[in-house]
Amino acid sequence: MVERETTVGPAEGIHGRPAARIVQTAKGFSSQVVFVKGDREVNAKSVLKITGLAKKGEKLTIRAEGEDAEQAVSALDDLISADEH
Amino acid sequence: MKLTGVGASEGVAVGPAFVPATGRPEPERTSISEGEVDQELQRFRGAVEAVVGKISQTIDALRTSGDEDEAGIFEFHVEMAEDPELASAVGGRVKNLQSPEAAVLAAGEEYAADFAAMDDEYMSARADDVRDVTGQISAELMGLATSGFEALQVPSVVLAQSLAPSDTARIPKGMALAFVTAEGSRTSHVSIMARSMGIPAVVGVGPNLEEALGAKSVAVDGDNGSAITDPDEDTLARFERASEDLAEERAALDEYRHVEASTSDGRRIEVAANLGSASEAEDALEWGAEGVGLFRTEFLFMQRDELPSEDEQYEAYSAVARTFGDRPVIVRTLDVGGDKNLPGIDQIHEDNPFLGWRGIRMSLDTPRLFKPQLRAILRAAARGNVRVMFPMVADVGELRAAKQMLQEVREELEAEGTEIGEVETGVMIETPAAAVCAIELAKESAFFSVGTNDLVQYTLAADRGNERLRRLQSADHPAVLALIRQTCEAAGGAGIPVGVCGEAAGEPAMIPKLVALGVTELSMGAPAIPRAKKVVSEI
Repeated sequence: MVERETTVGPAEGIHGRPAARIVQTAKGFSSQVVFVKGDREVNAKSVLKITGLAKKGEKLTIRAEGEDAEQAVSALDDLISADEH
Repeated sequence: MKLTGVGASEGVAVGPAFVPATGRPEPERTSISEGEVDQELQRFRGAVEAVVGKISQTIDALRTSGDEDEAGIFEFHVEMAEDPELASAVGGRVKNLQSPEAAVLAAGEEYAADFAAMDDEYMSARADDVRDVTGQISAELMGLATSGFEALQVPSVVLAQSLAPSDTARIPKGMALAFVTAEGSRTSHVSIMARSMGIPAVVGVGPNLEEALGAKSVAVDGDNGSAITDPDEDTLARFERASEDLAEERAALDEYRHVEASTSDGRRIEVAANLGSASEAEDALEWGAEGVGLFRTEFLFMQRDELPSEDEQYEAYSAVARTFGDRPVIVRTLDVGGDKNLPGIDQIHEDNPFLGWRGIRMSLDTPRLFKPQLRAILRAAARGNVRVMFPMVADVGELRAAKQMLQEVREELEAEGTEIGEVETGVMIETPAAAVCAIELAKESAFFSVGTNDLVQYTLAADRGNERLRRLQSADHPAVLALIRQTCEAAGGAGIPVGVCGEAAGEPAMIPKLVALGVTELSMGAPAIPRAKKVVSEI
C-alpha cells in the first residue's frame, strides 16, 4: 500500500473538468485508489464521489493498493497539487 | 402576439415553433421481475454507452466551434455517466427489482441532493449536472429523446429562455430556422452563433416569451428585432415577400464580394475578416476578405494539458498567412482572462475578469507564454504578410515592453539562423486609456485597430452581456465616437492607418460614421463582408 498526503491546487477545488481529469488519470491504473479526507474515504475512480471532496489549499491523502500503486499516487499527486489542469 | 427584442442576426424566417424540452423523464415502470434482472443490467450498460456517445459528439461540436470551457463541462458529464459508483448503486437497486430507468433517476437524485447541500455555490450547482446526466440515461432506457433538441426534426424556429453553447451544439444541422430568446444581447453566444449560421435571431424579448411558448408557428424578423406568434395570412404574405427580397438582396450582394471597395470620393476602404481559428481562412477568402483584420489566437490555448508549442502555433499562423498570400494577416497575441484555465499559468480568482489580468498584462508577466507566441509569429511572417497586434494595451510602457520582447526573440531567432519575416506591430485600441494616449502610442506603432466591443463596454461602464444595459451597448454613442475620433486624429498625425475590428465594423449604419472619422480598414465576421463593401461604395 502506498500513501501520500497532498494539497489541492486548483482555485475552485475538485470539481468539473479537474475532477474529470483526476478520474481519467486514476482509471489509467489497475490499482485500487482512494482519497481520504478526515473520516471520509472515497473511490478515486468515481467523479461523483470526489467532486466537492476538497477545496483549494485543503489536504487529502491518496492511498493506492496494487501493482502500479506507486505510479498512481505520484501521477495523482502531481495532478491534484497543480494549480491548473 | 408580437414579441420585441434586439435584432441580433438579420433576415426573416417563418416556421413551426420549437421549444426545447427541459425537466426530467417520468419512469414508465418502477419495478421489474426477478427473471429480468440480468437483461435490465445489460440494458443499463447499453444506455450508458449510448449517452456517452452522444455527449462525445457534443464535445466534438463544441471543440470545433472553439467553446473549450463548455466542452470541459461535458467531459465531466461523460465521467459521471460512466461512474463506477453510480453503476453499482443502480446495480444494487435493479437487483432489488427496481426498473433501471427508475433506479438511475433515484441514484442520481441522491448524489444531486449531496451536491445541493454543499456550502459552496459552485459545488451545489453540480447537482444540475448529475440530474442532467442521469435523466439522459433514464430517457435512453425508455427510448425517449435524451436532449431537449433531439425532438427537433423539422426545420423550426427555436424559442428559449436562453441558449448556451452546449444547447446550440446539440441542434441538428439545418434544423434551426431562427432563434428567439428571452435573454441575451447582440454579443451573446446565441447572437454570434446565429450570424455565423446565417439565420435570423431576436434576443432579449424578456418575460413575454413565456406567453409565446405555446405558439404553433412563429415569424421572425431579425432586422427590426421582432417576432410574431401564430401569424395570420397577411403577416405570412408580408414575411414571404421580405424573405424573397432578402434572397434577392443577398444575390445582389454577391457581386460585391470580390470588389475593392472605395467611397464615391475615392477613399479606398479595406474590408477584412475576423478569424476565430485557422480553419476559417478559406471561407473568409470566399466571402471576399481582403485580409485578416483580427486573427484571434485563443483557440490554440484553451482546454489543453500543456501550452501549445511554438511549432504548433507556427503551423496555425503560417497556414492562414499562406492562404492570404500578399494580403495582410493581423495576428492578435493571446487575450484570455484570468478567469479562464490556461495550463501552467497561476490562476487567481478575480471578481472582475474583464478588468483583470488579461491580454498584454498576462503576456508581459509570463514570458514562457508570450515568447513562443512571438517566435511563431515572426517565423510565420516568412510565409506571408503577417502583422502582430497587442490587446488590452493601456499605456505606451506596455507597448514598449512588448516590442522589447519581440526584439529579443527576433535576435534569438536570427542567432539560431531560423528563417523569419518582417512584422509590423500595432495596438488594439480597446481600453479608453489607449484612445486617450493614442498620440503617444501612434509614435511607436505601425497601425491601430479599434476593438469596439470592449471599447464600448469599458467607456460606458456597461457589461456587454447584461441585457438591461442594451442602450449602452452600441458604438454609436458620443463618448465612444469621440474616442475613435481622437484615435484617428492621433493616427493621422503619425501617418499610420486605423482599422475597426469590433461588431460596429459590420453594421451598415455605423460604417459611414467610422469612415467619416477616418477609419480605413473594417474587419468583421466574413458573411458581413459583401454588404459592408456595398455600403462603402455608396458613401
